[in-house]
Amino acid sequence: MERRAVMAEQLINGQVIEACQRGDRDAFRSLFEAYKDKVFSIAVYSSGGDRALAEDVTQQVFLKLFTAIRQFRGDSEFTTWLYRLVVNACLDERRRTRRLLPWDTTRTSVAINNVSEKKPQERQYARLELAEAVRGAIEELKPKFRLPILLKYIEGLSYEEIAEVMGCSKGTVASRLNRGHSQLAKRLSHLNNPALWGE
Amino acid sequence: MMFSKHVTKDISAYCQGELSSEESKRFAEHIISCVKCRTKFEEIKLGIKLAEQLPQLTAPDSSWHEIESALDRGSEGQVRVASVRPSVSWRAKVAIAATVIVVFGLGVWVYRSRPGSTSGGPTAWQVTRLGGTPKIGSSSISSRGSLAVGDWLETDGNSRAQIAVGTIGNVDIDENTRVRLLETQPTEHRLELARGRMSARIWAPPRLFFVDTPSAVAADLGCAYTLSVDDKGDGRLSVTSGWVALQSKERESIVPQGASCETQLGTGPGTPYFDDSTREFQDALKRFDFNKDPASRLDALAATLNNARARDTLTLWHLLPRVNDDDRVRVYEKIESFSPAPAGVTREGVLKLDQKMLEQWRLALEGTWGPNGKGIPKLAVEKSLKGWSATPLKDVLKK
Repeated sequence: MERRAVMAEQLINGQVIEACQRGDRDAFRSLFEAYKDKVFSIAVYSSGGDRALAEDVTQQVFLKLFTAIRQFRGDSEFTTWLYRLVVNACLDERRRTRRLLPWDTTRTSVAINNVSEKKPQERQYARLELAEAVRGAIEELKPKFRLPILLKYIEGLSYEEIAEVMGCSKGTVASRLNRGHSQLAKRLSHLNNPALWGE
Repeated sequence: MMFSKHVTKDISAYCQGELSSEESKRFAEHIISCVKCRTKFEEIKLGIKLAEQLPQLTAPDSSWHEIESALDRGSEGQVRVASVRPSVSWRAKVAIAATVIVVFGLGVWVYRSRPGSTSGGPTAWQVTRLGGTPKIGSSSISSRGSLAVGDWLETDGNSRAQIAVGTIGNVDIDENTRVRLLETQPTEHRLELARGRMSARIWAPPRLFFVDTPSAVAADLGCAYTLSVDDKGDGRLSVTSGWVALQSKERESIVPQGASCETQLGTGPGTPYFDDSTREFQDALKRFDFNKDPASRLDALAATLNNARARDTLTLWHLLPRVNDDDRVRVYEKIESFSPAPAGVTREGVLKLDQKMLEQWRLALEGTWGPNGKGIPKLAVEKSLKGWSATPLKDVLKK
């Protein structure tokens, strides 16, 4: 299969996994560096934008990973295994804290409404604001719609890989992504403005 | 097709290349003729476009130190610390780190390059040689080639080629033509036609496939058409099936099957006309569209009106916003002589270019635009034209 996940697995089943299973700290570090931003991103978007909480979740995920990696036998892809840990940690954390913060959409919509009249540097800023608005809307989605979107757009997984991580069928993934996309479009319909997209 | 099952549940999968070729084709065939699914398609497409803006964040540098401290404290209980573990040499460590980076990067590259990549669809289109020796960049195509974003495909006087536009259609490239692939994304495929002639057959939902020319952009609304550009940058669009919008920043023309539209550098798209209109009508229209001299244009408008048939209300309707107030009265009256304005459409409203009334009248006129005085297939136009009338389609213009 031509997938990044497979490439990573081929590597990790080799030297790095073995070194990690022997407890090699530098191998852990390599693994951490390879995946930390993706894990952290999912954690941030799953915790209402709370970066401190997301950092805690990221650390928990890697500690669990390093602890359990000796049991990893390569029955599934390494990335599937890792993202399952991430998804479970995010869901656990949400259940524990219920700290899903509402997003201030008013602030972002006001800031980007008149983007077409702005100068180039301001347009750049507006693009960042657009990303922020999207982030806020994604954080407001129910976890069952949000997680497939994060796995799709942050991790770049296929529908099949997402299904494996989430333990559901490919059809369920397709349906949840569809509903997630639809809800995003409805919540951010005011951003359907060509000027925002640099066109 | 009309009675096939709705496909709303498959929209994301279609946009992200998760359907098989057969499923994609079925999807596209349905959505072209189903307003309900097409409306949902536009919504999901926006959702995907928005989700693609989601940035990947960077974990704080302090994270590793926290993890390392926890490992040292044995927080997880089972992790052996460095002092007791068998170690690997520094050379091995460097090799491992380098391998992680290289293989991870390679993995990302392979993932993004693969056909049907779900992150953005195929990043290259397959090109088949139809004759002679077409070139991609400086390389000749013997049988098949791959056209990546940014690549030019060029044919000489003896060569022709066919491009497979992902799973949504084909484009035949004629002799002496130069095209470039500008973009291929789940929500947008875009070619540039610098010169020459191409014929497109697209079975995708509206506004998924665009062709940039020096003077206008052709936006597919579910159709088959031929587009040509001469050495001056002027062009001509001829539609054989469905509808195509031809647009510039200043002007927009919607062209149904059986009709054509000229476009000129510096002016943009002219007014569409049916190919079976009289030579006098077409000549007069061309003078009106592209002549800069006001007196000549006035004469040309008079000749256009004099030579118009009932079916030519396609042209006359497009002229309404392109003429001054006085001339608009003449155009209005000419259309009225062929097809009275329907209920709810007033003379005053049309002369003031009320968008809703113009739209309503256009829908009524469509019933006379068929070759035998009957209607033409509405296909994808109903919704598209609402957007087109109320909000110019500048969202498809990259220039």
